Amino acid sequence: MNQENLSKINSYLSFKLGDEEFAAHVGKVLNILEMTKITEVPKAPEYMKGVINLRGTVLPVIDTRIKFGMTATVYTTNTCIIVLDIEMDGETIQVGALVDAVQAVLEIDKNQIMPPPSIGSKYKSEFIEGVANIDEKFIMILNMDAVFSSDELTNLRDKTEETENTVDIEEVG
Amino acid sequence: MDNFKKKFVEEAVDLIDGLEKSLLALEESPDDMTLVQQVFRVMHTLKGNSGMFGFDLIDAFTHEMETIYDLIRNSKLKVTREVLDVTLASVDHLKVLLNEDNYNDPLVQENHAELLRKVASIINADMDVEQVVNSPEEVKVQEADNGESTYYIFFDPIKEIFNNGTNPLFLLDELHSLGETFVYAHLNKVPPIAEIDPELCYTYWEVLLATKADINSISDVFIFVEDDCSLDIQKISETNLLTHKSFINKVKELAKSQRDVGFNTIQNLVKEVSSRSINEISTQKKKEKSATKDASISSIRVSADKLDMLMNLVSELVTTQARLSLFAEENSVPGLMPIAENVQKLSRQLRDTAFSIVLIPIENMLTRFQRLVRDLSSELGKEVAFITEGADTELDKTIIESLADPLMHILRNSLDHGIEEAAERKRKGKPTQGKIILKAFYSGANVMIQISDDGAGINPEIITEKAIAKGIISADRKLSKREVLDLIFLPGFSTARTVTDVSGRGVGMDVVKRKISDIRGEVEVDSDLGAGTTITIKLPLTLSIIDGLLVKVDETHFIIPLSVVDKIFAVEHKKIVSTFNNVVVLDGKQVPFFYIRREFDHPEAEQVYEQVIVVNFEEKSVGLVVDTVIGEYQAVLKPLGKHYKNQDMISGATILGDGTVALVMDTNKIIKLFANHEVFTRQQTTDN
Repeated sequence: MNQENLSKINSYLSFKLGDEEFAAHVGKVLNILEMTKITEVPKAPEYMKGVINLRGTVLPVIDTRIKFGMTATVYTTNTCIIVLDIEMDGETIQVGALVDAVQAVLEIDKNQIMPPPSIGSKYKSEFIEGVANIDEKFIMILNMDAVFSSDELTNLRDKTEETENTVDIEEVG
Repeated sequence: MDNFKKKFVEEAVDLIDGLEKSLLALEESPDDMTLVQQVFRVMHTLKGNSGMFGFDLIDAFTHEMETIYDLIRNSKLKVTREVLDVTLASVDHLKVLLNEDNYNDPLVQENHAELLRKVASIINADMDVEQVVNSPEEVKVQEADNGESTYYIFFDPIKEIFNNGTNPLFLLDELHSLGETFVYAHLNKVPPIAEIDPELCYTYWEVLLATKADINSISDVFIFVEDDCSLDIQKISETNLLTHKSFINKVKELAKSQRDVGFNTIQNLVKEVSSRSINEISTQKKKEKSATKDASISSIRVSADKLDMLMNLVSELVTTQARLSLFAEENSVPGLMPIAENVQKLSRQLRDTAFSIVLIPIENMLTRFQRLVRDLSSELGKEVAFITEGADTELDKTIIESLADPLMHILRNSLDHGIEEAAERKRKGKPTQGKIILKAFYSGANVMIQISDDGAGINPEIITEKAIAKGIISADRKLSKREVLDLIFLPGFSTARTVTDVSGRGVGMDVVKRKISDIRGEVEVDSDLGAGTTITIKLPLTLSIIDGLLVKVDETHFIIPLSVVDKIFAVEHKKIVSTFNNVVVLDGKQVPFFYIRREFDHPEAEQVYEQVIVVNFEEKSVGLVVDTVIGEYQAVLKPLGKHYKNQDMISGATILGDGTVALVMDTNKIIKLFANHEVFTRQQTTDN
């Protein structure tokens, strides 16, 4: 199915980070994997959990919780890796996103999606496509390209924070 | 463009490349006739092919050029600088003509006419020159006699020959296996059909046989029927008469008249033709020879896509094989282990072969450089000799492709800024002709390419000045010579005082460095003021599979390229943690080491022995301390992806037999990163 057809679909995959519920358009989701052994890459930013083997290719895995400014994921039986197609610098690449639990595939009509509140929101608006009210719950629909393509530690929360994990090569050489 | 034309263009590009190479070689040794022949042959092929595929302009053009080399071939024209200049210009023009879209470009048309004029003037100039005529003796000398003689055989079996089971046709076949034959069957003894007895043989034969075998081996053919036939075998000529058309035609005519030709008639014929025949035969023979030479295929053309696919498949196979080996180890099924080992051996061989297919000698790109040096040096008015060594050194084709531009740039720099003008060289007491040497050689699992010139060299003071002026370094910082020279790789750095057409625009060495590190290579510069500059490029042999050592640190598997591993020692944990200066004594030598657990922020574990892997780092030995060494492993390199682009001490990842991922260490980068200056300065003082 091509991108155009995909974008017409109104299905969203919802998942949980802590108690909050988020959703991603199914066109972005390739696969949902059970938690597996992640090979840690040394000296990488904290949110870069490591790499796993996805059918012969090496897939980077991102701890979504850390990326969103929460504490690191604690692995449970519900922990999943969502494999996503991400547009990054004009290329489509795959990343794995660690989430606490995958909930369901929801049909959300376009007119059910409200624009993100511009003031007073806890999250940066560039990462939020909209908010949907499903069964009295607010679900944050994320712009996955924006969230996962930024290679700096981008706090989803609206505050900037210096990272201490980047290694200063200049000093050593 | 349809498929055939595409094929033609592809082939033509190859031909033109070869042509260029031969021409440059011809410039070195203008009297080498084999080179002239080569040039002529390529032009001829090009002419033929282009005519066939409707590239009429090329067809007509190469025809003119071919004429020049035909004249040279026949010693009617000398190879001069002028001839070569025109030919090389024509070669460039041919490249342009290969793109049909260029035909209507007025510039191209003008150039075309201009070149045709030049070519014509060369050809016409020759016509006035005295003609050297080939003497007939010369031809005779060349008439390489390959020892074939012609025999006349008259074979008339008795009618009852079938009774002892002989098939006369088999005998003729046997004769044919000795050499070339001309067989004539006489049917005049065959009776009318009503009277034919199918069990009798009515036919008799006359055979002309050209063979290297002697008369005895011919009569051996008839050894079992000697008593049952009338047989006459005679030698009629010392040469192969069968290649002589008019002779054969005469024999045919005689035989058709339904009577025996007979030995005497043949011999008369031979006498008649032999006087004028020999020359003709020999030329024919020569033609055949060159034809067979061209026909033998030593290489084939395969599309790069297919090769990439092959490499991918081999990589997959290697990964699967690793799983099989692991499975065989874990499950002690009788007979499984030998199979797994065999598969391992085979896949290793397959891998090596597949690699050698994508490896091509760097010679392929050297022609381009030779041309560059030739053209540029005359443009700049400098005399430069370009010497290449180790042109047969092989590299992955993708590496070669990405290497051409950086090398081109380095050469340009050497020509433009390095080599001085003849007058200045003389003043400095150097030979007026400058020298640029491109040397390629293997060094472990790496290929080194060195470009050195005997030019002016780089003045470190000018670089320092410039770097300070540009604010790249602070004025009070003291840099070693190596550090100063490394500054030229920084973006926006150019020491050339004047910007020339050739180089010195300030984009340059930084691009060179970036391009080379893109293919996992390293570049270094060394220069002596007044004596010349040497630029060394270190490249990996291949990009996709490496032999590595599989080790484990905490829960993570790492691969250390086997090419850098020197030795492995087991050292007590106490000794590792208790040293102040990170040095252990191994084999009586002090070796600085890095405790990977500590460096990679893993918790330290209490174990009795640690494994110290001694690796080579810039001609020094450095130890890397890991938990356990698992063994040798063929690692199929996979990229870590864009998210890890800053983790350059890990050059990639590979998938292990159990499906987990191991990381491939770039030991050079790791050590550089961890090396704190003190350790090294201390080691250097102890060394001295």
